[in-house]
Parts: sequence; C-alpha cells; structure tokens
Amino acid sequence: MTDYDYSIDHKKRLSTVQDKMQELNLPVLLGSRLRTISYVGDVFCPWRSFIIIPQDKEPTIYTFVIDAERVRDDSWLDDVRGFGPLGGGHQIDVIADAVSEHLPTSGERRVGVEHGMSCYLPEGNLTAEEFRMLKTSLPGVEFVQSIDIIDELSMKKDRGTVNRFRKASDIVDIGHKAVLDQFEVGMTETEIAGIAEAAMRKAGSEWSWSFTAGNEIASGYRTSYPMGACTPATRRKTAPEEPLMVDLHAMFMLGLGDHSHNYLLSPVSERQRELADYFIETIIKVIDMYGPGMTPGKMADDMMDWAETKGIAQYLVPGFEHGIGVMGDEWRIGMNTGPMPYWTDPDHVYEPDQLLICAMQFMVPEDEAGFRYESPILITKSGCEVLAKTPLEVTEL
Amino acid sequence: MSGNYEYLSQEWMDAVISRVRDSLTAEEMKHVSSSMVNIVENCPDGKRRYMYFRFENGLLEEALVGTDDDEVASKNPEFRIIGDYDTFAKISKAELGARSALMRNRIKLKGNMVKALRLSSVVDKLNKIIAQVPTDY
Repeated sequence: MTDYDYSIDHKKRLSTVQDKMQELNLPVLLGSRLRTISYVGDVFCPWRSFIIIPQDKEPTIYTFVIDAERVRDDSWLDDVRGFGPLGGGHQIDVIADAVSEHLPTSGERRVGVEHGMSCYLPEGNLTAEEFRMLKTSLPGVEFVQSIDIIDELSMKKDRGTVNRFRKASDIVDIGHKAVLDQFEVGMTETEIAGIAEAAMRKAGSEWSWSFTAGNEIASGYRTSYPMGACTPATRRKTAPEEPLMVDLHAMFMLGLGDHSHNYLLSPVSERQRELADYFIETIIKVIDMYGPGMTPGKMADDMMDWAETKGIAQYLVPGFEHGIGVMGDEWRIGMNTGPMPYWTDPDHVYEPDQLLICAMQFMVPEDEAGFRYESPILITKSGCEVLAKTPLEVTEL
Repeated sequence: MSGNYEYLSQEWMDAVISRVRDSLTAEEMKHVSSSMVNIVENCPDGKRRYMYFRFENGLLEEALVGTDDDEVASKNPEFRIIGDYDTFAKISKAELGARSALMRNRIKLKGNMVKALRLSSVVDKLNKIIAQVPTDY
C-alpha cells in the first residue's frame, strides 16, 4: 500500500489560530469541539475534552483522567491534563483555573468559546450547563462565540491532511476488496461489516469512525428507506435478487475514509439493472460538476433539474455532499453563514484544497432497491479528485 | 495534660517527621520525588494553616507547618490540597481516607491529577503514619 507524507506543521497551524485570536482580542480560546482538538492537538480525544489555547503559549488539552496520559503520548502537545470526579479535579474547576491564568487581572477579560448546534452528535459544542458553571466560576469574564476561528482555518486542507485522507481512502478500498472476495449470499449485514473491518484494521485503520455504528451495511429493502441514508448493519441475512449496499469508514491519523459500493445479488432483474445504470450516470454527472466556483445550492438545483428530465428526481435525496474534516468535523460544509443556523450554507463557494464527501442516496422503495455513493473528493484548480479508487459500478454477484 | 501533641503545631509536626523517617522506607514510598501542601481552612482559631511535605527519592526531605505568616505559606509545591480543618482532622485520625475525601469533594486537589492518583497509595501510607501520632484536635 502506498505511503505518503503525513506531516503537519503544528506550530504554524497554532500560530495562525493565535494570530486570529489576537485579531479578535481574545487572550484565550476555550475549544470544546472535537474538530478543534483534532485540528490543533492532532490527537484523537474520544472523551469529553477541552483545549485551552492562550494567545502566546502552547495549548493545554484537558481530558478525562483515564485517557490523559495516552492523549499526551499521542499528541504533539506536551501539556495534557486529566480531569475527573475528585475534589478540585472537576472539569469546570480545572478549566476555570487554567483560563484565569491566561486572562489579564484587569480590563477586558475575554474568552473565546464554542457555542453551537449540530446534527452530528459528537460535535462537542459547549453545553448549556458547562457554560452556566463556567460563568459562575469566572465572574466578570466576557465569553465570545468563536467557532469561526477553527472553521475558517481548517476549511482548506494542507498536504499532510489530504494525504491522511488519501491513505484512509486507500484503506477503505482494501475493505471493499475484502468484502468482494469473501462475500457469500446468506451472510448477515454484521458479518459483512466485520469482514471489511478486519481487512481495514489489518491495513492500519484506527477505527470505523462513523457514529452510524461504524461500517454501514444495508441489504434488500433496507437499501431503499425513503430519504434514508443511514443504515447501521443488522443481523439481517442477505438473499438472492436483492441489492446490497456497503458503506465503509476508516480513520488514518484523524483523516477519514468514507466510501460506499453497491452490489446486486443474482439473479438480477432488468429493472434493478436499469436503476443501477441511472445511479451510475448520476454519480458521473455529479463528480463532473464539482470544482472551484460550484456551490452546494447550485449543485442541488442543477442535479435535481437534470434528474427531473430523466424521471428519477423522486429517487434522489436533494443534496449531493456533506462536509468532512479531521475527526470531529462532519456534515456542515464551510462556515456558519447559511440561512439555516449551523447547517451548510447553500451558497458556500468551493475552492481548491477543500475536501468534502460527495454523497448521493438513490432509493426506490417500491422496488425495494437503493444505492448509495459516498467518497471523499478534493476540489482542485480545474475540478476534483476522487480519493477512493474502488471502481465506480454496481457490481453483480 | 494528655501528653498529646496539638494538631498542626510545630511539636506535632516534629513528631510526624520523626515517625515518618523512622517508619517509612524509600522503597515503601516508591522512591517518589514530589511535594504537597495541605491548606487547612477554618481552623478553630479562625486561621488558615499549611502542612507541607517534600520527598526526594522516597525520603522525607522537608516538612513544615504554619500559618499565612510563615515560610510554609510561600512554598510552591507540586500539589495543593485544600479543605476544612474538620476534614483534614478526620484524615489525620485515619477516620477518612484522602481518596474518599477527594471523591466526595471534601478536599480539592490542584495539580496533575494523573500523577496525584498514581501517588495516592504513598499518600495513604503517609497519612497512616500521621494517624499514629498522639494528637489533640
């Protein structure tokens, strides 16, 4: 398997965050979102964690004490501390103390925090209760909404980050190959997920990162939930004449692989083949349209108009991508500037070096058939690069 | 006269030092090098008192007791443990474990929690020795 240059200039990344803090007159930024910790600390923090970023010093990560030493070992940051249910060790106590150390004793005492909401469960926005307790512990402090700092700086991916995604996609390709090689009709969805998982782990995947129960497998009618695009694997047995959807997730150094491949289990009907052809044609058109200057809104409008002419609009979820970044950064694309608070701005303009997941769900409930396409794509100067290399087809088995 | 030492007096600390040095080997103390100060709030006379211990390679190198006016108050140890007189008295009488007091938020720890938890067993040993000193509270 190919190896790439995965290096990231952490100090440069940090200094761009701190420059932004200076611009915003923030002596300290209290990051609570998983994406912020991943981006600045370059470490996986599965437990509730915080990163305190002073304007002129290296940050400190605070995480649940049972994981603090492991996080310290894995991060480029030396200062990782634990919190836990011990007197003085409560997360609000230690964070309030640490924030205080970086605030001026008089004058403006401003602290950047990360408020928000998300359809993505582990986003990590500061909770209302955390905020209430912090306000009590830090009287006189002005808390400033600061999610834009990381959202803006992390939007374009540097080479090391792109290569981590590239590697994660290579690993997902290996998972797909394992499924293709080992699948037998009658296997359950969870067995198929396990085959892929074993192969991807062997290839170096750190986990099947999606909170949709890891690798999503759907067979038969489960591929065709109306407007459905979330199918945790079940104990349902695959059967002849059915579609099978395999949506795999691998993580490599916080870079995320996410690719779906689809099968039709023989004997395949002409109707199934017709739908599969529509599906492939749609993906080709979508990928062809991605490039600098495209927006999610224009993509949806153009694609749904096109689908209308083909008579397949009713089979498509009217959205063709979701956001992606290092672990913890999923779903929303770009900044929080859209008409729907905290959702993707339909007028976000794609630029080179932005990554997204091209995602398409094609479902025909009346035929109990559905297909899903997902793949990380990198916007380039002239179009896009599809990172997953598994051949684009609906494979008949 | 009971013959006991007054809790948190210099004489009491001298007795603690003597017993610790006689009873605890460097091996038993896991050759630890660290320091801590117990900050005892709400003493019967209304003052705050400090108990400071510094171990080097498992041996007690320095131990001080005093008030805000004494040298001990200016020490900068690795760990600070803050609580009320009644709580520390119970710990010193071995009626309450330090770990238990921490878990019930009756004392507060300032310092690296990971290291503190790793050291909790040696702190238990220290507290057991302190509990052997005949003391008037």
